[in-house]
Amino acid sequence: MNKIILDDVKVVDSVVDDCISYNLIDNEDVKVLNIDVLESCDLDLDYRFSSAKVEVCINVCSNIIFNVNEIISGESAKVRTKYVIDESSFVNVCKFNNIDSIKEYFVCNLNGVGASINYNLKTISINPENYEFLVYHNFKNTNSNICTNGVSIKDGSVLFNVSSFIGKDITGCVASQDNKIINLNDNECIIKPNLYIDCDDVSATHSAWVGSFREDELFYLQSRGIGRDDAIRLLISGFLTSNISDSLCDYIKNILDMYWR
Amino acid sequence: MHTLKIIDLCVSVDGKQILNKLNLVINSGEIHAIMGPNGTGKSTLSKVIMGDSNYKIMSGHIYFDDKEINDMAVDERARLGIFLGMQMPMEIEGVSNADFLRTALHNKNSEFKLYDFIKKMNSTVADLSMDKEMIHRGINQGFSGGERKKNEILQMYMLEPNTVLLDEIDSGLDVDSLRIVGEAVMNYYNHVKPGILLITHYQRLLDYIKPDFVHIMMGGSIVKSGDFSLVDLIEKYGYDLNKLGISTSVVEEIGSNE
Repeated sequence: MNKIILDDVKVVDSVVDDCISYNLIDNEDVKVLNIDVLESCDLDLDYRFSSAKVEVCINVCSNIIFNVNEIISGESAKVRTKYVIDESSFVNVCKFNNIDSIKEYFVCNLNGVGASINYNLKTISINPENYEFLVYHNFKNTNSNICTNGVSIKDGSVLFNVSSFIGKDITGCVASQDNKIINLNDNECIIKPNLYIDCDDVSATHSAWVGSFREDELFYLQSRGIGRDDAIRLLISGFLTSNISDSLCDYIKNILDMYWR
Repeated sequence: MHTLKIIDLCVSVDGKQILNKLNLVINSGEIHAIMGPNGTGKSTLSKVIMGDSNYKIMSGHIYFDDKEINDMAVDERARLGIFLGMQMPMEIEGVSNADFLRTALHNKNSEFKLYDFIKKMNSTVADLSMDKEMIHRGINQGFSGGERKKNEILQMYMLEPNTVLLDEIDSGLDVDSLRIVGEAVMNYYNHVKPGILLITHYQRLLDYIKPDFVHIMMGGSIVKSGDFSLVDLIEKYGYDLNKLGISTSVVEEIGSNE
Protein backbone atom coordinates (compact mmCIF):
# COMPACT_ATOMS: atom_id res chain seq x y z
CA MET A 1 0.00 0.00 0.00
CA ASN A 2 1.31 3.43 -0.97
CA LYS A 3 1.34 5.95 1.83
CA ILE A 4 2.23 9.62 2.22
CA ILE A 5 2.19 11.32 5.63
CA LEU A 6 2.36 15.08 5.55
CA ASP A 7 2.53 17.65 8.35
CA ASP A 8 2.61 21.46 8.18
CA VAL A 9 6.04 21.69 6.62
CA LYS A 10 7.21 18.39 5.23
CA VAL A 11 6.50 14.85 4.15
CA VAL A 12 7.03 12.99 7.41
CA ASP A 13 6.98 9.54 5.91
CA SER A 14 6.18 7.95 2.59
CA VAL A 15 6.12 4.57 0.92
CA VAL A 16 5.34 4.69 -2.77
CA ASP A 17 5.95 2.29 -5.62
CA ASP A 18 6.38 2.93 -9.34
CA CYS A 19 2.67 3.65 -9.74
CA ILE A 20 3.02 7.02 -8.07
CA SER A 21 5.43 9.92 -8.21
CA TYR A 22 5.20 12.97 -5.99
CA ASN A 23 6.99 16.11 -4.91
CA LEU A 24 6.43 18.79 -2.33
CA ILE A 25 7.05 22.40 -3.31
CA ASP A 26 7.63 24.72 -0.39
CA ASN A 27 6.27 28.08 -1.41
CA GLU A 28 6.41 30.72 1.26
CA ASP A 29 2.72 30.92 2.06
CA VAL A 30 1.51 27.55 0.83
CA LYS A 31 2.90 24.03 0.51
CA VAL A 32 2.09 22.31 -2.77
CA LEU A 33 2.02 18.53 -2.92
CA ASN A 34 1.95 17.22 -6.48
CA ILE A 35 1.04 13.59 -7.03
CA ASP A 36 1.03 11.84 -10.39
CA VAL A 37 -0.74 8.52 -10.56
CA LEU A 38 0.68 6.48 -13.42
CA GLU A 39 -0.89 3.07 -12.87
CA SER A 40 -3.77 1.55 -10.93
CA CYS A 41 -3.03 1.56 -7.22
CA ASP A 42 -4.20 2.45 -3.72
CA LEU A 43 -2.87 5.36 -1.68
CA ASP A 44 -3.23 6.40 1.96
CA LEU A 45 -2.92 10.13 2.49
CA ASP A 46 -2.48 11.14 6.11
CA TYR A 47 -2.34 14.86 6.84
CA ARG A 48 -1.48 16.00 10.37
CA PHE A 49 -1.75 19.76 10.55
CA SER A 50 -1.30 22.27 13.34
CA SER A 51 -1.78 25.38 11.23
CA ALA A 52 -1.31 24.65 7.57
CA LYS A 53 -2.10 26.05 4.18
CA VAL A 54 -1.73 23.27 1.68
CA GLU A 55 -2.49 22.65 -1.96
CA VAL A 56 -2.66 19.07 -3.20
CA CYS A 57 -2.69 18.42 -6.96
CA ILE A 58 -3.43 14.87 -8.05
CA ASN A 59 -3.17 13.95 -11.71
CA VAL A 60 -4.56 10.58 -12.67
CA CYS A 61 -3.47 9.16 -16.01
CA SER A 62 -5.89 7.38 -18.35
CA ASN A 63 -7.29 3.85 -17.86
CA ILE A 64 -6.50 3.67 -14.14
CA ILE A 65 -8.37 2.65 -11.03
CA PHE A 66 -7.13 4.73 -8.13
CA ASN A 67 -8.35 4.25 -4.55
CA VAL A 68 -7.54 6.92 -1.99
CA ASN A 69 -7.97 6.81 1.77
CA GLU A 70 -7.49 10.30 3.15
CA ILE A 71 -7.36 11.47 6.75
CA ILE A 72 -6.94 15.03 7.93
CA SER A 73 -6.33 15.48 11.64
CA GLY A 74 -4.88 18.11 13.93
CA GLU A 75 -5.75 21.70 14.74
CA SER A 76 -6.29 23.99 11.78
CA ALA A 77 -5.92 23.86 8.02
CA LYS A 78 -6.81 25.44 4.74
CA VAL A 79 -6.64 22.77 2.07
CA ARG A 80 -7.12 23.04 -1.69
CA THR A 81 -7.30 19.70 -3.47
CA LYS A 82 -7.35 19.45 -7.23
CA TYR A 83 -7.97 16.24 -9.11
CA VAL A 84 -7.45 15.92 -12.83
CA ILE A 85 -8.75 12.59 -14.07
CA ASP A 86 -8.01 11.41 -17.58
CA GLU A 87 -9.95 9.20 -19.97
CA SER A 88 -11.60 6.04 -18.62
CA SER A 89 -10.02 6.36 -15.20
CA PHE A 90 -11.92 5.83 -11.98
CA VAL A 91 -11.00 7.51 -8.71
CA ASN A 92 -12.55 6.39 -5.44
CA VAL A 93 -11.90 8.72 -2.51
CA CYS A 94 -12.78 7.79 1.08
CA LYS A 95 -11.97 10.68 3.35
CA PHE A 96 -12.32 11.47 7.02
CA ASN A 97 -11.68 14.82 8.63
CA ASN A 98 -11.07 14.98 12.35
CA ILE A 99 -9.56 18.40 12.76
CA ASP A 100 -10.39 21.30 15.05
CA SER A 101 -11.03 23.73 12.23
CA ILE A 102 -10.86 23.47 8.44
CA LYS A 103 -11.61 25.30 5.23
CA GLU A 104 -11.44 23.00 2.26
CA TYR A 105 -11.72 23.69 -1.43
CA PHE A 106 -12.02 20.74 -3.78
CA VAL A 107 -11.90 20.84 -7.56
CA CYS A 108 -12.23 17.85 -9.81
CA ASN A 109 -11.76 18.02 -13.55
CA LEU A 110 -13.05 14.99 -15.40
CA ASN A 111 -10.78 15.46 -18.35
CA GLY A 112 -11.39 12.50 -20.58
CA VAL A 113 -14.26 10.44 -21.95
CA GLY A 114 -15.44 7.98 -19.30
CA ALA A 115 -13.53 9.55 -16.41
CA SER A 116 -15.24 8.98 -13.06
CA ILE A 117 -14.97 10.02 -9.44
CA ASN A 118 -16.67 8.56 -6.40
CA TYR A 119 -16.02 10.85 -3.46
CA ASN A 120 -17.04 10.12 0.13
CA LEU A 121 -16.29 12.68 2.80
CA LYS A 122 -17.01 12.11 6.49
CA THR A 123 -16.33 14.77 9.07
CA ILE A 124 -16.89 15.49 12.72
CA SER A 125 -17.15 19.23 13.21
CA ILE A 126 -16.32 20.69 16.63
CA ASN A 127 -15.70 24.19 15.21
CA PRO A 128 -16.96 25.85 12.03
CA GLU A 129 -15.99 23.97 8.87
CA ASN A 130 -16.44 25.27 5.32
CA TYR A 131 -16.30 23.10 2.25
CA GLU A 132 -16.55 24.02 -1.39
CA PHE A 133 -16.69 21.30 -4.03
CA LEU A 134 -16.52 21.97 -7.75
CA VAL A 135 -16.83 19.09 -10.19
CA TYR A 136 -16.38 19.81 -13.88
CA HIS A 137 -17.59 17.29 -16.41
CA ASN A 138 -15.42 18.41 -19.30
CA PHE A 139 -15.92 15.33 -21.47
CA LYS A 140 -18.77 13.06 -22.50
CA ASN A 141 -19.81 10.02 -20.47
CA THR A 142 -18.11 11.23 -17.31
CA ASN A 143 -19.47 10.31 -13.88
CA SER A 144 -19.34 11.98 -10.51
CA ASN A 145 -20.82 10.80 -7.24
CA ILE A 146 -20.17 13.27 -4.44
CA CYS A 147 -21.28 12.15 -1.00
CA THR A 148 -20.59 14.48 1.91
CA ASN A 149 -21.56 13.55 5.47
CA GLY A 150 -20.93 15.69 8.52
CA VAL A 151 -21.78 15.51 12.21
CA SER A 152 -21.82 18.84 14.01
CA ILE A 153 -21.16 18.79 17.76
CA LYS A 154 -19.86 21.17 20.47
CA ASP A 155 -19.13 24.51 18.72
CA GLY A 156 -19.26 22.96 15.29
CA SER A 157 -21.08 24.00 12.18
CA VAL A 158 -20.75 22.79 8.63
CA LEU A 159 -21.21 24.39 5.23
CA PHE A 160 -21.24 22.11 2.20
CA ASN A 161 -21.33 24.07 -1.04
CA VAL A 162 -21.36 21.46 -3.78
CA SER A 163 -21.46 22.34 -7.48
CA SER A 164 -21.44 20.08 -10.50
CA PHE A 165 -20.98 21.50 -13.98
CA ILE A 166 -21.97 19.87 -17.27
CA GLY A 167 -21.56 22.04 -20.32
CA LYS A 168 -23.32 22.13 -23.66
CA ASP A 169 -23.00 18.95 -25.78
CA ILE A 170 -21.26 17.05 -22.95
CA THR A 171 -23.70 14.19 -23.27
CA GLY A 172 -24.08 10.91 -21.38
CA CYS A 173 -22.81 12.21 -18.04
CA VAL A 174 -23.99 11.19 -14.58
CA ALA A 175 -23.76 13.75 -11.78
CA SER A 176 -24.94 12.72 -8.35
CA GLN A 177 -24.78 14.56 -5.04
CA ASP A 178 -25.77 13.19 -1.66
CA ASN A 179 -25.14 15.66 1.16
CA LYS A 180 -26.17 15.16 4.76
CA ILE A 181 -25.39 16.95 8.00
CA ILE A 182 -26.46 15.59 11.37
CA ASN A 183 -26.67 18.64 13.54
CA LEU A 184 -26.40 17.77 17.25
CA ASN A 185 -26.09 21.37 18.45
CA ASP A 186 -27.98 24.60 17.81
CA ASN A 187 -25.51 26.10 15.34
CA GLU A 188 -26.46 26.76 11.77
CA CYS A 189 -25.45 24.15 9.22
CA ILE A 190 -25.96 24.73 5.52
CA ILE A 191 -25.96 22.62 2.38
CA LYS A 192 -25.97 24.27 -1.03
CA PRO A 193 -26.39 21.61 -3.71
CA ASN A 194 -25.90 23.12 -7.17
CA LEU A 195 -26.26 21.39 -10.51
CA TYR A 196 -25.26 23.62 -13.42
CA ILE A 197 -26.31 21.66 -16.46
CA ASP A 198 -26.47 22.92 -20.02
CA CYS A 199 -27.18 19.61 -21.73
CA ASP A 200 -30.31 17.45 -22.02
CA ASP A 201 -28.78 14.01 -22.21
CA VAL A 202 -27.51 13.65 -18.64
CA SER A 203 -28.58 12.01 -15.42
CA ALA A 204 -28.36 14.33 -12.44
CA THR A 205 -29.60 13.82 -8.88
CA HIS A 206 -29.07 15.47 -5.56
CA SER A 207 -30.26 15.04 -2.02
CA ALA A 208 -29.65 17.20 1.02
CA TRP A 209 -30.53 16.73 4.67
CA VAL A 210 -29.72 18.92 7.64
CA GLY A 211 -31.15 17.90 10.98
CA SER A 212 -30.96 15.33 13.68
CA PHE A 213 -31.65 11.63 13.35
CA ARG A 214 -35.21 10.64 12.55
CA GLU A 215 -37.38 9.76 15.53
CA ASP A 216 -38.63 6.58 13.85
CA GLU A 217 -35.04 5.36 13.49
CA LEU A 218 -34.44 6.03 17.18
CA PHE A 219 -37.72 4.34 18.08
CA TYR A 220 -36.70 1.23 16.14
CA LEU A 221 -33.37 0.96 17.94
CA GLN A 222 -34.85 1.78 21.34
CA SER A 223 -37.58 -0.81 20.83
CA ARG A 224 -34.83 -3.41 20.99
CA GLY A 225 -33.69 -2.22 24.41
CA ILE A 226 -31.00 0.20 23.30
CA GLY A 227 -30.92 3.39 25.41
CA ARG A 228 -31.37 6.69 23.58
CA ASP A 229 -27.72 7.76 23.98
CA ASP A 230 -26.46 4.41 22.72
CA ALA A 231 -28.96 4.55 19.87
CA ILE A 232 -27.64 7.96 18.79
CA ARG A 233 -24.08 6.70 19.07
CA LEU A 234 -24.95 3.69 16.92
CA LEU A 235 -26.57 5.92 14.30
CA ILE A 236 -23.56 8.26 14.27
CA SER A 237 -21.25 5.31 13.81
CA GLY A 238 -23.37 3.98 10.97
CA PHE A 239 -23.61 7.40 9.36
CA LEU A 240 -19.87 8.02 9.45
CA THR A 241 -18.76 4.55 8.39
CA SER A 242 -21.17 3.73 5.59
CA ASN A 243 -19.69 3.49 2.08
CA ILE A 244 -16.15 3.79 3.45
CA SER A 245 -13.21 1.43 3.03
CA ASP A 246 -12.67 -1.09 5.83
CA SER A 247 -9.35 0.37 6.96
CA LEU A 248 -10.80 3.89 7.26
CA CYS A 249 -13.86 2.44 8.95
CA ASP A 250 -11.74 1.01 11.77
CA TYR A 251 -9.94 4.33 12.18
CA ILE A 252 -13.23 6.24 12.37
CA LYS A 253 -14.66 3.82 14.93
CA ASN A 254 -11.66 4.44 17.19
CA ILE A 255 -12.17 8.19 16.88
CA LEU A 256 -15.86 7.82 17.71
CA ASP A 257 -14.91 6.03 20.91
CA MET A 258 -13.06 9.19 21.94
CA TYR A 259 -16.11 11.41 21.43
CA TRP A 260 -18.90 9.07 22.48
CA ARG A 261 -17.42 6.54 24.85
CA MET B 1 -45.15 -15.58 34.43
CA HIS B 2 -45.70 -12.09 33.03
CA THR B 3 -48.87 -10.14 32.41
CA LEU B 4 -49.54 -7.23 30.10
CA LYS B 5 -52.75 -5.53 31.15
CA ILE B 6 -54.46 -2.71 29.27
CA ILE B 7 -57.32 -0.91 30.97
CA ASP B 8 -59.69 1.61 29.36
CA LEU B 9 -56.96 2.88 27.07
CA CYS B 10 -57.76 5.97 25.00
CA VAL B 11 -55.06 7.12 22.58
CA SER B 12 -54.82 9.92 20.05
CA VAL B 13 -52.41 10.81 17.30
CA ASP B 14 -52.22 14.30 15.83
CA GLY B 15 -55.28 15.25 17.85
CA LYS B 16 -57.42 12.41 16.49
CA GLN B 17 -58.59 9.70 18.85
CA ILE B 18 -57.65 6.23 17.63
CA LEU B 19 -58.09 3.90 20.62
CA ASN B 20 -61.25 4.13 22.66
CA LYS B 21 -61.47 2.51 26.10
CA LEU B 22 -59.60 -0.56 24.96
CA ASN B 23 -59.20 -3.42 27.43
CA LEU B 24 -56.95 -6.44 27.02
CA VAL B 25 -54.99 -8.84 29.22
CA ILE B 26 -52.20 -11.04 27.86
CA ASN B 27 -50.52 -13.58 30.13
CA SER B 28 -47.41 -15.59 29.41
CA GLY B 29 -48.24 -18.66 27.40
CA GLU B 30 -51.29 -17.11 25.75
CA ILE B 31 -51.58 -16.31 22.06
CA HIS B 32 -54.01 -13.54 21.20
CA ALA B 33 -54.94 -12.52 17.67
CA ILE B 34 -56.45 -9.15 16.89
CA MET B 35 -58.29 -8.79 13.62
CA GLY B 36 -60.32 -5.96 12.23
CA PRO B 37 -60.86 -3.65 9.29
CA ASN B 38 -58.18 -1.25 8.12
CA GLY B 39 -57.73 1.92 10.16
CA THR B 40 -59.34 0.59 13.29
CA GLY B 41 -56.31 1.09 15.52
CA LYS B 42 -54.60 -2.32 15.56
CA SER B 43 -51.12 -1.01 14.74
CA THR B 44 -51.68 1.95 17.04
CA LEU B 45 -52.24 -0.49 19.88
CA SER B 46 -48.92 -2.23 19.27
CA LYS B 47 -47.03 1.06 18.93
CA VAL B 48 -48.52 2.55 22.08
CA ILE B 49 -47.69 -0.56 24.10
CA MET B 50 -44.10 -0.18 22.89
CA GLY B 51 -44.11 3.52 23.83
CA ASP B 52 -43.99 5.33 20.48
CA SER B 53 -44.04 9.03 21.36
CA ASN B 54 -46.18 9.86 18.31
CA TYR B 55 -49.13 8.37 20.18
CA LYS B 56 -50.59 10.22 23.13
CA ILE B 57 -52.30 8.34 25.93
CA MET B 58 -55.37 10.43 26.77
CA SER B 59 -56.56 8.18 29.56
CA GLY B 60 -56.32 4.60 30.73
CA HIS B 61 -53.46 2.42 31.82
CA ILE B 62 -50.92 -0.05 30.52
CA TYR B 63 -49.53 -2.36 33.19
CA PHE B 64 -46.70 -4.85 32.90
CA ASP B 65 -46.63 -7.21 35.87
CA ASP B 66 -48.78 -4.73 37.83
CA LYS B 67 -46.36 -1.87 37.17
CA GLU B 68 -47.79 0.99 35.15
CA ILE B 69 -45.64 1.65 32.09
CA ASN B 70 -47.59 4.55 30.54
CA ASP B 71 -44.65 6.93 30.93
CA MET B 72 -41.82 4.44 30.64
CA ALA B 73 -39.16 4.98 27.93
CA VAL B 74 -39.24 2.72 24.90
CA ASP B 75 -35.94 1.01 25.68
CA GLU B 76 -36.98 0.34 29.29
CA ARG B 77 -40.12 -1.40 28.06
CA ALA B 78 -38.00 -3.47 25.70
CA ARG B 79 -35.70 -4.44 28.56
CA LEU B 80 -38.74 -5.58 30.54
CA GLY B 81 -39.16 -8.12 27.77
CA ILE B 82 -41.68 -6.49 25.44
CA PHE B 83 -40.88 -6.93 21.76
CA LEU B 84 -42.60 -5.38 18.77
CA GLY B 85 -42.17 -7.05 15.40
CA MET B 86 -43.05 -4.18 13.12
CA GLN B 87 -45.26 -4.02 10.09
CA MET B 88 -42.73 -1.92 8.18
CA PRO B 89 -39.32 -2.36 9.79
CA MET B 90 -36.98 0.61 9.37
CA GLU B 91 -34.03 0.59 7.01
CA ILE B 92 -31.01 2.09 8.74
CA GLU B 93 -27.95 2.57 6.57
CA GLY B 94 -24.53 1.92 8.02
CA VAL B 95 -25.63 0.21 11.25
CA SER B 96 -25.07 -3.48 10.66
CA ASN B 97 -27.53 -6.04 11.98
CA ALA B 98 -24.73 -7.63 13.96
CA ASP B 99 -23.66 -4.36 15.64
CA PHE B 100 -27.27 -3.51 16.32
CA LEU B 101 -28.08 -6.82 17.99
CA ARG B 102 -24.80 -6.90 19.88
CA THR B 103 -25.53 -3.42 21.30
CA ALA B 104 -29.09 -4.41 22.16
CA LEU B 105 -27.97 -7.55 23.99
CA HIS B 106 -25.21 -5.69 25.74
CA ASN B 107 -27.77 -3.14 26.98
CA LYS B 108 -29.96 -5.98 28.21
CA ASN B 109 -27.27 -8.04 29.84
CA SER B 110 -23.85 -6.73 30.81
CA GLU B 111 -22.56 -10.32 31.03
CA PHE B 112 -23.20 -10.75 27.35
CA LYS B 113 -20.83 -13.24 25.69
CA LEU B 114 -19.73 -12.64 22.12
CA TYR B 115 -19.08 -16.28 21.25
CA ASP B 116 -22.54 -17.37 22.37
CA PHE B 117 -24.04 -14.44 20.46
CA ILE B 118 -22.34 -15.40 17.19
CA LYS B 119 -23.19 -19.06 17.61
CA LYS B 120 -26.86 -18.40 18.29
CA MET B 121 -27.16 -15.84 15.52
CA ASN B 122 -25.64 -18.14 12.93
CA SER B 123 -27.93 -21.00 13.84
CA THR B 124 -31.05 -18.79 13.86
CA VAL B 125 -30.12 -17.27 10.50
CA ALA B 126 -29.88 -20.81 9.11
CA ASP B 127 -33.22 -21.81 10.66
CA LEU B 128 -34.89 -18.80 9.04
CA SER B 129 -33.29 -19.57 5.66
CA MET B 130 -31.69 -16.13 5.67
CA ASP B 131 -28.53 -15.26 3.78
CA LYS B 132 -25.63 -15.17 6.29
CA GLU B 133 -24.22 -12.12 4.60
CA MET B 134 -27.31 -10.11 5.63
CA ILE B 135 -26.05 -10.03 9.20
CA HIS B 136 -23.25 -7.73 8.13
CA ARG B 137 -25.40 -5.42 6.04
CA GLY B 138 -27.10 -2.28 7.32
CA ILE B 139 -30.33 -2.92 9.22
CA ASN B 140 -32.88 -4.01 6.61
CA GLN B 141 -30.77 -2.30 3.96
CA GLY B 142 -31.77 -3.61 0.55
CA PHE B 143 -33.90 -6.30 2.20
CA SER B 144 -37.10 -7.43 0.48
CA GLY B 145 -40.36 -7.24 2.44
CA GLY B 146 -40.05 -10.90 3.37
CA GLU B 147 -36.43 -10.58 4.42
CA ARG B 148 -37.32 -7.68 6.71
CA LYS B 149 -39.97 -9.79 8.42
CA LYS B 150 -37.54 -12.64 8.88
CA ASN B 151 -35.09 -10.15 10.33
CA GLU B 152 -37.72 -9.15 12.89
CA ILE B 153 -38.09 -12.79 13.88
CA LEU B 154 -34.31 -13.14 14.08
CA GLN B 155 -34.25 -10.21 16.50
CA MET B 156 -37.02 -11.82 18.54
CA TYR B 157 -34.98 -14.99 18.88
CA MET B 158 -31.85 -13.12 19.85
CA LEU B 159 -33.50 -10.83 22.40
CA GLU B 160 -35.71 -13.56 23.94
CA PRO B 161 -38.66 -11.38 24.92
CA ASN B 162 -41.40 -12.60 27.26
CA THR B 163 -44.13 -10.60 25.55
CA VAL B 164 -44.25 -10.51 21.76
CA LEU B 165 -46.31 -8.11 19.66
CA LEU B 166 -46.33 -9.03 15.97
CA ASP B 167 -47.87 -6.39 13.73
CA GLU B 168 -48.84 -7.94 10.40
CA ILE B 169 -45.76 -10.11 10.40
CA ASP B 170 -47.33 -12.01 7.50
CA SER B 171 -47.51 -9.08 5.07
CA GLY B 172 -45.00 -9.24 2.25
CA LEU B 173 -44.28 -12.93 2.76
CA ASP B 174 -44.52 -15.51 0.03
CA VAL B 175 -45.95 -18.96 0.81
CA ASP B 176 -42.62 -20.51 1.80
CA SER B 177 -41.50 -17.54 3.88
CA LEU B 178 -44.88 -17.46 5.63
CA ARG B 179 -44.41 -21.09 6.62
CA ILE B 180 -40.86 -20.47 7.83
CA VAL B 181 -41.87 -17.41 9.85
CA GLY B 182 -45.02 -19.07 11.21
CA GLU B 183 -43.10 -22.17 12.29
CA ALA B 184 -40.31 -20.06 13.78
CA VAL B 185 -42.78 -18.10 15.90
CA MET B 186 -44.42 -21.32 17.10
CA ASN B 187 -41.05 -22.87 17.83
CA TYR B 188 -40.14 -19.83 19.93
CA TYR B 189 -43.52 -20.03 21.66
CA ASN B 190 -43.04 -23.72 22.47
CA HIS B 191 -39.63 -23.09 24.02
CA VAL B 192 -40.16 -19.77 25.82
CA LYS B 193 -43.94 -19.59 26.33
CA PRO B 194 -44.21 -15.85 25.91
CA GLY B 195 -47.45 -13.96 25.71
CA ILE B 196 -48.08 -13.22 22.03
CA LEU B 197 -50.28 -10.60 20.43
CA LEU B 198 -50.72 -11.16 16.70
CA ILE B 199 -52.15 -8.45 14.52
CA THR B 200 -53.22 -9.82 11.19
CA HIS B 201 -55.74 -9.49 8.40
CA TYR B 202 -55.51 -13.00 7.13
CA GLN B 203 -56.26 -16.49 8.32
CA ARG B 204 -53.23 -17.89 6.50
CA LEU B 205 -50.85 -16.89 9.33
CA LEU B 206 -53.17 -18.55 11.81
CA ASP B 207 -52.71 -21.83 9.97
CA TYR B 208 -49.28 -21.87 11.64
CA ILE B 209 -49.81 -19.89 14.81
CA LYS B 210 -52.94 -21.00 16.58
CA PRO B 211 -54.35 -18.30 18.86
CA ASP B 212 -56.06 -19.11 22.13
CA PHE B 213 -58.07 -15.91 21.93
CA VAL B 214 -59.32 -13.98 18.90
CA HIS B 215 -60.44 -10.37 19.22
CA ILE B 216 -62.28 -8.23 16.72
CA MET B 217 -61.35 -4.59 16.86
CA MET B 218 -63.49 -1.78 15.49
CA GLY B 219 -63.47 1.94 16.13
CA GLY B 220 -60.53 1.67 18.48
CA SER B 221 -62.06 -0.91 20.80
CA ILE B 222 -62.33 -4.66 21.05
CA VAL B 223 -65.94 -5.37 20.19
CA LYS B 224 -65.90 -9.14 20.35
CA SER B 225 -63.62 -11.82 21.73
CA GLY B 226 -63.77 -15.53 21.25
CA ASP B 227 -61.83 -18.62 20.35
CA PHE B 228 -60.42 -19.74 17.01
CA SER B 229 -63.92 -20.29 15.61
CA LEU B 230 -64.22 -16.51 15.33
CA VAL B 231 -61.52 -16.59 12.64
CA ASP B 232 -63.64 -18.90 10.52
CA LEU B 233 -66.60 -16.56 10.86
CA ILE B 234 -64.52 -13.57 9.77
CA GLU B 235 -63.19 -15.55 6.83
CA LYS B 236 -66.73 -16.43 5.87
CA TYR B 237 -68.61 -13.18 6.49
CA GLY B 238 -65.94 -10.48 6.66
CA TYR B 239 -66.73 -7.83 9.26
CA ASP B 240 -70.50 -7.99 8.86
CA LEU B 241 -71.65 -7.08 12.37
CA ASN B 242 -74.89 -9.03 12.30
CA LYS B 243 -73.33 -12.22 11.04
CA LEU B 244 -70.51 -11.96 13.55
CA GLY B 245 -73.05 -11.55 16.31
CA ILE B 246 -71.88 -8.07 17.25
CA SER B 247 -74.60 -5.75 18.46
CA THR B 248 -74.67 -2.59 16.36
CA SER B 249 -75.35 -0.68 19.57
CA VAL B 250 -71.85 -1.58 20.79
CA VAL B 251 -70.28 -0.04 17.71
CA GLU B 252 -72.61 2.96 17.86
CA GLU B 253 -71.64 3.50 21.48
CA ILE B 254 -67.97 3.50 20.48
CA GLY B 255 -68.74 5.99 17.71
CA SER B 256 -70.47 8.32 20.14
CA ASN B 257 -67.46 8.23 22.45
CA GLU B 258 -65.01 9.20 19.69
